Amino acid sequence: MNALGFAWRSLVRQPARAALGILGVAAVGALLFDMLLLSRGLIVSMQDLLDRGGWDVRVSAGDLPGMGLRIPNALETADTIARLPSVQAALVIRTASAQIDRSPGGSKDPPLPGGSPPVSPLRASFQGVTTRSTNPAGSRLRAPWTILRGRDAEHPDEIVVDEQIASDAAVAPGSEITIRASCVADLEALPEMRLKVVGVAEFPFQTSNESTAGGTLDALKAACGGNAGDTADLILVTSTGDAGATAAAIRAAHPELRAATNNEVVGRLQQTGFTYFRQISSVLTTVTVSFAVLLITVLLTVSVNQRLGEIAALRALGFSRMRVVKDVFAESVLIVGIGGLLSLPLGLLLASGLDRILKGMPGIPAALHFFVFERQALVVHVALLAATAIIASLYPMRIVSNLPIAATLRDEVIG
Amino acid sequence: VRSTFIAGIVAVLGVWLLPTLTSAQQVTAPDVLVSRQLAESEGLAVGSVIRLATEASGTRAREFRVAGIYEPTPDPSRLGQVPRSVRLHLPDLLDMTRPVDVPAGAEYVASVNVALVDPQDAQQFARDVNARLPGVLALPSGEAAGSAGPFRVLERFHLAIAVVTIVAATVFLLALTIMLVDERRETVGVLRLIGLPIRRIMVQILLEGLLVAGAGAIFGLVLALASEQLINQFFQWRYDTALVFVRITKDVALTCVMIAVPLGASATVVASWALLRRGGLRLARR
Repeated sequence: MNALGFAWRSLVRQPARAALGILGVAAVGALLFDMLLLSRGLIVSMQDLLDRGGWDVRVSAGDLPGMGLRIPNALETADTIARLPSVQAALVIRTASAQIDRSPGGSKDPPLPGGSPPVSPLRASFQGVTTRSTNPAGSRLRAPWTILRGRDAEHPDEIVVDEQIASDAAVAPGSEITIRASCVADLEALPEMRLKVVGVAEFPFQTSNESTAGGTLDALKAACGGNAGDTADLILVTSTGDAGATAAAIRAAHPELRAATNNEVVGRLQQTGFTYFRQISSVLTTVTVSFAVLLITVLLTVSVNQRLGEIAALRALGFSRMRVVKDVFAESVLIVGIGGLLSLPLGLLLASGLDRILKGMPGIPAALHFFVFERQALVVHVALLAATAIIASLYPMRIVSNLPIAATLRDEVIG
Repeated sequence: VRSTFIAGIVAVLGVWLLPTLTSAQQVTAPDVLVSRQLAESEGLAVGSVIRLATEASGTRAREFRVAGIYEPTPDPSRLGQVPRSVRLHLPDLLDMTRPVDVPAGAEYVASVNVALVDPQDAQQFARDVNARLPGVLALPSGEAAGSAGPFRVLERFHLAIAVVTIVAATVFLLALTIMLVDERRETVGVLRLIGLPIRRIMVQILLEGLLVAGAGAIFGLVLALASEQLINQFFQWRYDTALVFVRITKDVALTCVMIAVPLGASATVVASWALLRRGGLRLARR
């Protein structure tokens, strides 16, 4: 019988302690796996979210779009950007806050006694977009949202809404809504406008606690009562090839603006935003691995100490020193190996729960994830567990390798 | 003050800043406060005269005198971002940010903080303001923070991690106690044979478990207290913030002891139970 088979029998002989040891490794391993997913999850998810839209370069007036600074002379600026040789298309995005009237049937507020139900308006953000391109392929590019039902808004009297608005205002493609948009300040008197809902869309950067509607820039200007001005929050650019060169060309043409490629945006996020999660991931990974090493070492050591007589007898029967050392190592490999395997599904389950908790943070897009599976994380997880199995078995292996056979057998008989 | 601060941060995103060493204008330039981080990066000191503009090109820049350097209020949602900010008096900020076609006094601010004579009246005061000033939303500070603030989300996240850690530790603890109890099988058998009832042995095991768990909990607390300072110093250095990351309060210590001691003692009793159900002879037999 080889060392692995022998170790398996040792474990099966004491099922309670073996099962508990394996379960302990599975729980610790799940936490370890999650911390590895967390260490790069946000970056990977953000990169995916940025790349998914198909836009290579983001142009804004400040470091972060939507922080009060807007791009002046937006259409003219977008035109000059679109005329750059390396640019395929530019998409101007202007955002306004809006109030959408709920239809009485769609209101979730309780009805007043003896009266009609209160119809407090829905608060939402309204994205108005327009494409600028000198390239025939670029002018066909779509808006930065994905249509789920119906079609995209193409005319100034059309709008697409997200699932939240569709549900709360009880509207569907073909319905009409009354919207009051504010392009300047929230407290201004808001003009009222009727728009036709032509589609239900998914907005990739929308946070989980906000509602968004989208349409053409003309629709937004009309909704704002012509009070939108010629400013934009963001200009998205698709390059014909090299995004870095395109961003540099835009910066040269408009030194007053910030132009960043998707990689640069992610790099900035890596350096500044949410580094806390990378740090906590490193700290918890270290603590978790140390915890696992310590506990498996104690488990194996106690187990070996209880079987010293048995091991000495095996040595006396002809088992070599190397063979008993291998047995102890195989036992460690089995406990950590089986526990490690169980930790993967357990870790993924735990990650989805922790992800839900962290996505409650304000300003986090609903499509962004903190825990993202990567092959690299799995490789590191396996490597760390393998190291744990080796390090944890070193001390018990030393005990059995130095075991004095005759003295141990005599102690066992006398004791 | 808070509205000034918020508006200041927004304006400062586009600030074009240039320290100058003029002396004659120091007397007339309005006062501003600069964050410690900005002062360090730009070499500013109290009395320095700086020029601020809302546009990156530096047009319509105005001079201000640094009246003081302040430590920004730690904000976990801005962790990792160096807070290079300036606090201006609200009229100065409005003068700088007001569009040319907007008359003075027609500007708006994001929020107004109100200090009440009796803070207990906050709810009623908010209701009165909401009733009398349509278009203005008044909230008590506690509600304004929102239920999904970064602090609360992080607290829930840490709690979830703690629960998983406790589960893993419990499982390991059970495995260990099963082994340790099994080691004392013969001793327990002899105690049974000389007439000690199961209840008496169980009490002894429970007391032993409590002592060991208590000692372990105290050791854990000492370790946590010793590492508290180290962890805070590391993260405060790493993020250049005054935010306190780890604080072991009396409540936290008490919660840890309340979880660890009963858990340790229970694990010992649970692990011993199967052993004690066997007969004394069977236990003592080699």
